[in-house]
Amino acid sequence: MLLQRRLLCTQVPKRSIHPTHHQNSNLNNKKWAIKQVTKSNFAETLEEIKTHIFNSDFIAVSLQKTGAFSSPWQKVLPFDTAEVAYLKAKYAAERFQVLQFAVCPFSVKSSKIIAHPYNFHLFPRDELKMGMPSYSFFCQSSYLTAMAQEGFDFNACIYDGISYLSRAQELAAKDRTGNPLPRSYMKPSQSPTVYSVADSMFVDRIKSRIKIWKRTCQDSEKKTEDDLISTLRKIVSGGEVFGSRPSLSIDICSERQVQLILETLQEFTDLVPLLVPAKKELQLMEEEHNMQVRGFREVVDLISTSQKPVVAHNAINEFAFIHSKFIAPLPSTVDEFRSSLCSVFSHIVDVNHLMREIGPLNKVNNLPAAILYLKRRFTRPLHMEIPQHIDGDEVRVHGRDVLRISELFAKLCLILRIVPESPEADYSTSSSTLECYANVFNPCFISSSDLLDDDVNISTEKTRRISVANLVFLWGFRGMMSARKLKSLLKGSHEVFSGEIDVRLADRNCAIVVFWAPGFAERFLKVMNSGGTNCEPIKDMISEGLRAACYRTYKRVCELSIWEPSLADALEKALEEASDLPEANSEEELPAICWDNDELTNLDDL
Amino acid sequence: MNGSSKFYRTKIPVVRMVVVMKNLFTIRAFHKSLISLSSSTRHFFCSSSSSASTFAIKNVTKSNFESALNDLRLYVKDADFVAVDLEMTGVTSAPWRESFELDRFDIQYLKVKDSAEKFAAVQFGVCPFRWEPHRQSFVAHPHNFYLFPRQEIKGDDTSYEFLCQTTSIDFLAKYQFDFNLCIREGVSYLSRSQEKEALGRLNARYKDRLLDSSSCWREGVDTKLVRVADILFSERLKNKIAEWHDGLLGDRNGASQTWKTSNDSKQQLKTIFFKMRPALDLTGFTSHQLRLIQLVVKNHFEDLVYACVAGESSSQQLIVYTDSASGRDLLMKELKDCLCKEAEMKIKAAIGFRHVIDLLSSEKKLIVGHNSFLDIAHIYRKFIGPLPSTAKEYVISIQKFFPYIVDTKVLLNASTVCQKISKKSSTSLSKAFALLCPQIASGVKTSGLADKRLVKVEVQVDNKRSLNWNSGAKHEAGYDAFMTGCVFAQACSHLGVDFTLNPSSVDLSHHEKLQEYINLLYLSWINGDIIDLKTGERKADSICSKGFKAHHSKILFSNTVLLWAFPAKLKASEIRECFCKVFGSSSITFIYHVDKTAVFIQFSKQELVSDFLVLKETLERSNDPISVLHPLSKVLQGGRTRAASYEVYKQICSSTISKVFFADQAEAVGIEWNAKLSKPVLEVERQVDFEASENQLYTDTRNETEIVSGIDPPLYMHSPTDELDSLCPAEAQMSK
Repeated sequence: MLLQRRLLCTQVPKRSIHPTHHQNSNLNNKKWAIKQVTKSNFAETLEEIKTHIFNSDFIAVSLQKTGAFSSPWQKVLPFDTAEVAYLKAKYAAERFQVLQFAVCPFSVKSSKIIAHPYNFHLFPRDELKMGMPSYSFFCQSSYLTAMAQEGFDFNACIYDGISYLSRAQELAAKDRTGNPLPRSYMKPSQSPTVYSVADSMFVDRIKSRIKIWKRTCQDSEKKTEDDLISTLRKIVSGGEVFGSRPSLSIDICSERQVQLILETLQEFTDLVPLLVPAKKELQLMEEEHNMQVRGFREVVDLISTSQKPVVAHNAINEFAFIHSKFIAPLPSTVDEFRSSLCSVFSHIVDVNHLMREIGPLNKVNNLPAAILYLKRRFTRPLHMEIPQHIDGDEVRVHGRDVLRISELFAKLCLILRIVPESPEADYSTSSSTLECYANVFNPCFISSSDLLDDDVNISTEKTRRISVANLVFLWGFRGMMSARKLKSLLKGSHEVFSGEIDVRLADRNCAIVVFWAPGFAERFLKVMNSGGTNCEPIKDMISEGLRAACYRTYKRVCELSIWEPSLADALEKALEEASDLPEANSEEELPAICWDNDELTNLDDL
Repeated sequence: MNGSSKFYRTKIPVVRMVVVMKNLFTIRAFHKSLISLSSSTRHFFCSSSSSASTFAIKNVTKSNFESALNDLRLYVKDADFVAVDLEMTGVTSAPWRESFELDRFDIQYLKVKDSAEKFAAVQFGVCPFRWEPHRQSFVAHPHNFYLFPRQEIKGDDTSYEFLCQTTSIDFLAKYQFDFNLCIREGVSYLSRSQEKEALGRLNARYKDRLLDSSSCWREGVDTKLVRVADILFSERLKNKIAEWHDGLLGDRNGASQTWKTSNDSKQQLKTIFFKMRPALDLTGFTSHQLRLIQLVVKNHFEDLVYACVAGESSSQQLIVYTDSASGRDLLMKELKDCLCKEAEMKIKAAIGFRHVIDLLSSEKKLIVGHNSFLDIAHIYRKFIGPLPSTAKEYVISIQKFFPYIVDTKVLLNASTVCQKISKKSSTSLSKAFALLCPQIASGVKTSGLADKRLVKVEVQVDNKRSLNWNSGAKHEAGYDAFMTGCVFAQACSHLGVDFTLNPSSVDLSHHEKLQEYINLLYLSWINGDIIDLKTGERKADSICSKGFKAHHSKILFSNTVLLWAFPAKLKASEIRECFCKVFGSSSITFIYHVDKTAVFIQFSKQELVSDFLVLKETLERSNDPISVLHPLSKVLQGGRTRAASYEVYKQICSSTISKVFFADQAEAVGIEWNAKLSKPVLEVERQVDFEASENQLYTDTRNETEIVSGIDPPLYMHSPTDELDSLCPAEAQMSK
């Protein structure tokens, strides 16, 4: 204890000496003090993190996965509706694996963040030999390479990573094994037991005890006795009643003795052995068993029961993984997903979504850049304090994103006035403010203000809101073409393009066209379906292979999981299948998305 | 202690001298032992030293790949045969993708194909063996390559994605596989088809660019100047460039250097020479600024060219001066060629480990593997190209690259001589090695007479040699390849191949004693089905079928129905009972579990297949009490139960999707085949039946005998009947 205090003391002066560097050194500090957790130190850490989770105001989480999306169009794109974004996140969550799960319970007190960062190394080892938690998983070599460059120790992760079972898997496992108690006791071993002297003495003693008890039982059945005498007799012989049958309890203290008694009992044909663990033992065994079965999920359950707000970056992706690995298989629609998730975590806050609230930041999708931006714009200092001490000089960088998320969230809270600035007031008073930011599962591109006003987005001048009915996918144009070229080509081809249009590439050979004037998209599709009658340029392009599809086809691609590497191929396939089916619910109300010119520019670089 | 140190301190010079002399002595001694080791190895062997040498195997990673490859070229050129072995990240992508007894020949191939397509090879063992007549022993050079499919060039991203089977990864971990080394330092590779594709893309790109050289460098140059800062920046740069430009012209006229710049911009704009032309090197600008500069150059300077050249570490941005229009075109062409060549070099460099495969292929050496059909499929998929859809096309193609392949598992099971020696015990690699090559496996020398028949194998790693080398690293590809080679050499000797008689090396590929076994591989060990690589057919007179197929001949695929998504927890015996109630007690030959969600049901007569499918259809359509009380309703309960003929199983297996449970898989694949046919289910199945009857011809050639009815057939549950070490199927395959 004394030692620990001294260690803490040495850290404090360091900070006070360089107050000016403080802002930079928070996260650039070489000692990240993120506790790295593997199977070997999991049990002790679990107790530790439990208290931190219950004593902190927020919990930041961040996951390191083995991959994200297989081809450019399969990542969540700016023109995706919530439904489509969810289907994409679902596909990724079902394929890839989580190798690191960073958890950071933190509190914000005036201008201080008190954080307790942990990074758990996971590996889906089949501890119960039941093909769970994961039969197989995909890896993207670029992801593994990037992790290797950060110095990630794959050997430690695979040899010593913590396994887990989801809630659904645990139920299935219980269903299959039935009794959580070890079954090896139930059938005595075939090999004849070699008795030691002590063993044979024990066996003899037990044997005679059983014999006496049995005799008493049989005797008492024959003659009626005085109540007092029969009670005394019971006490002496140790007889009890189990259900309606007479029974005898034998206290044992080792597994060896269990084995011996079971073997002894084989001599008595009319006796059935029942193994009743002592209460305390039972509890211990169950806890141990649960720990072994649930593994890392214990942490997820702790976060869940604490009811603390969970902060994440790109929440839809992170929570699709969390849901599929630790709760249950992902449902097929975003609404089911949302309600299922809300029953586990009461508040989920996406820092991406909060950033959106501060207008110009909406482009910043990268954590360090966002932090830097906020530091420049809002100079109020915020100190990060990590009370836990970690020995050893290893670089503890893994899981540092979780600290960045905590810091970013704290800063955003100050700016958006979500958390009261007085140190006395606690989180509960401010919860109503937070409430309106929580559980927004639209892709990060839609801000809550958009949900209120349905026309043009007001937060920035560049983002505009548009119904997906005005979007058309185009592919089959000649060779590799830039969006700009395609736009000029289209402009001259037909009058529908005379109005304001935007053209962007969704992937290498598929483009998306936005018709800002309503009704033009439909007209264009009609022209395309007619084969370009009355319009030679379009006719020529169609003969060269130009194809078009509405947004609904794109949605169908995701619904049917047609995850072809190229979007054009996927749309083609979806069209083929759709042609066999009657055009159903065409009147369905189409959602709107936000169109931001700037966010799409990077697609041109493909 | 204290005293002695004091003592030494006083006599330092003396002590130091002693130490020096000792050092000299030990060095000399060491040197001597090295000489004796390498020069008199025969003597070394005769003295029957039983202590196994344990120097490390030759591990090859990125850093020593080039030198190892150069050495390997020589070893392979001289080799009599080359043993290979692979370690993969997994074997089956779903439990039902494991090999079943009920898998027809074409389906066995589909399962191997799926495995080779999804999993990565992480370790590749190559071990060339050469017979040295004067030593009367083989010399082996075991190499253990670490592979990792790192993406070195741009292209199809999906080929840099691979599956890991959790149990297999755990298995590798159990044998201390170094994942860090593999991911950080593993050698990457490019298949022949990937290379071709990349070169094709490259050509297309540069052809395109030649067509319109104006938009050569970057699209989107016409960024509009909106912000004041941009306008100011552009203006400043315009002046700077103009200054430099004028300075150049002035310079040529013999005037002195007039271009003066502040310290700041001197760092950003530096005059250099690019391909004999004066140029400005732009450094320290943001990409946005560079775009603006590009714009300035394009709009205001006719004789300047903005160029982006790939440098050693990062790309270099230049403004190059050209004195005429033709000079400009020439520069553009030069730049293009330069870029093209660079990209080509990059592609060539990305070939990586495939050089080893190309080497083995071009040298046409005899390739030796152990139960190697899957290994060879991996080699094909990783280093040649996508796997063909049928086994026949595949083997014809593989023979072009590897004309001589021999499998020790086939050898051990096929030859009566080898069987006698192995006493019909397990033919797993490590067991066979211990049995056939005890002198290498355990380093124990057996009695002189038996010893005579043992083939000696000397191992050479770099400059170290040993006759009883044993790295002990089981399930390491390099060591497994070594064991395979030893087993092969020993098996050859038992088959009557006499290495000692020949003055030079033996031509094993054409040796008459081996002809019977060359180019035969187990397509599926569990069925004992052997594929002939020369014809692509199943080996008709299965030379190695002994003991396997007590019931195999009973499988009639056209009599088989696949049933899935029936009510959970319905046991095979219950299903059987239901069916027997409807079609008679002898109607069912057997029921075989695919997994807990699906079963195969084989009827005694072929008509019963369609009878059942029709009956199922009618029962599902009508809702009257009779159909509810129908015995089959127990199976159809819930309304999700599906049934189809055997051909649908093939369709489901050929899908690239892999769901863990068969019922889920069928549903996922079903989206495709339902939509394609988009007819009532009944017709789908009829059509499929028609295909099945076409396939009858296929089954007839296999001499299938009619089922003997009346015998109560057993209820087959699939259990790995393979080897003792098949704790789990993944391991069984991996440990072979």
